[in-house]
Amino acid sequence: MDKTSNFINTEGIKFFGKVNASISHELKNILAIISETAGFLNDLADLAKKGKGFKISLIEECSDSIAEDIQRGFTTIKQMNQFAHSVDIPIKEIDILEVLQLTVKLSEFLSFSNSVKIKNSDYEVQPVFTCPFLLQNLIYQILIFTYESTGSNGEIHVRLNSPKKDGVDLVFSSPLQLNLKNFSNTKIKETADILGVEFNINQSLHELTIWIPSSCNQIVVLAKELQIDSNGDNGVNDILKNIHNK
Amino acid sequence: MKVIIVDDEQKFIKMLAKRLVMRGIETDVVDSGEKAIKKIGLTDYDIAVLDIKMPGISGLELKKELATIAPSLKFLFVTGHGTVNKSEKSSEKNDIYLSKPLDIEILIKKMNEVIKNG
Repeated sequence: MDKTSNFINTEGIKFFGKVNASISHELKNILAIISETAGFLNDLADLAKKGKGFKISLIEECSDSIAEDIQRGFTTIKQMNQFAHSVDIPIKEIDILEVLQLTVKLSEFLSFSNSVKIKNSDYEVQPVFTCPFLLQNLIYQILIFTYESTGSNGEIHVRLNSPKKDGVDLVFSSPLQLNLKNFSNTKIKETADILGVEFNINQSLHELTIWIPSSCNQIVVLAKELQIDSNGDNGVNDILKNIHNK
Repeated sequence: MKVIIVDDEQKFIKMLAKRLVMRGIETDVVDSGEKAIKKIGLTDYDIAVLDIKMPGISGLELKKELATIAPSLKFLFVTGHGTVNKSEKSSEKNDIYLSKPLDIEILIKKMNEVIKNG
């Protein structure tokens, strides 16, 4: 498991850095808008001091804009916080939809103009016992690949499916057609292997499906190992017992 | 001075443009490199203020394109990142990069410097 742990640590730090950089970029943009708006209010105050008139609606527009961007900032910080806490418990039962929704948001900070639609977000899926941080990394890498494949302003669709095997399917597609010919990224493959995730590429439908098992041996082994590392303080024991009982 | 600002953050450029206009600077804004190419083909500007990271064409690539359309056009870059990586910088040592949020007085000072020193 040393190799696996090393991979998780190395790639995890890279992923963490990348997401943090994109979040800080987003926050700087928000602050830049608030800063310009506040500056504009100062300019209006200067005009007023000089006895020059201006429409009062300009002040209302500014306050609305600041309130809107503060809300955008709060949402971003909330997502940053959710992401930061995804490493608290290295292996646990997760809701795939929650992980997918957060990862989509995080990837959108980096992709600028691409948009992702989760087609059936009301779909009920069974919980999955996995490494949430690593799964986020995998979905993130796939989304970045799909953004590059569709080009700027591309739209990506993700839908959840009930597979025949025990687990959850995530199906990535695009109305612009995904070019999946070059989908052979080593990092993606290595990440998928650790999680027991399987790929299915349908070239004719331009669809990429990933099957996420509800549990797999290597994750159980990894959970045990990480449990020892963190003095058994991550609740893994109970989950393992549950899986064993099932 | 006539300036064009190219940045995908629409609210940011609109507000910045208002403030520049209040200071007597003729300002146009566009939210993509593609729109900038069209606009600069039709209008003469003294300087283009370009965001480095934009969807589609980046600020650095855009500079190359615009320089062929308008050879006398000067450039200044802005970025939402805290620092500008070597890989993100253009090969020209004299290019100026400003980090967001901007100080409008510094922006105007730098624009004047770039236009004057070319």
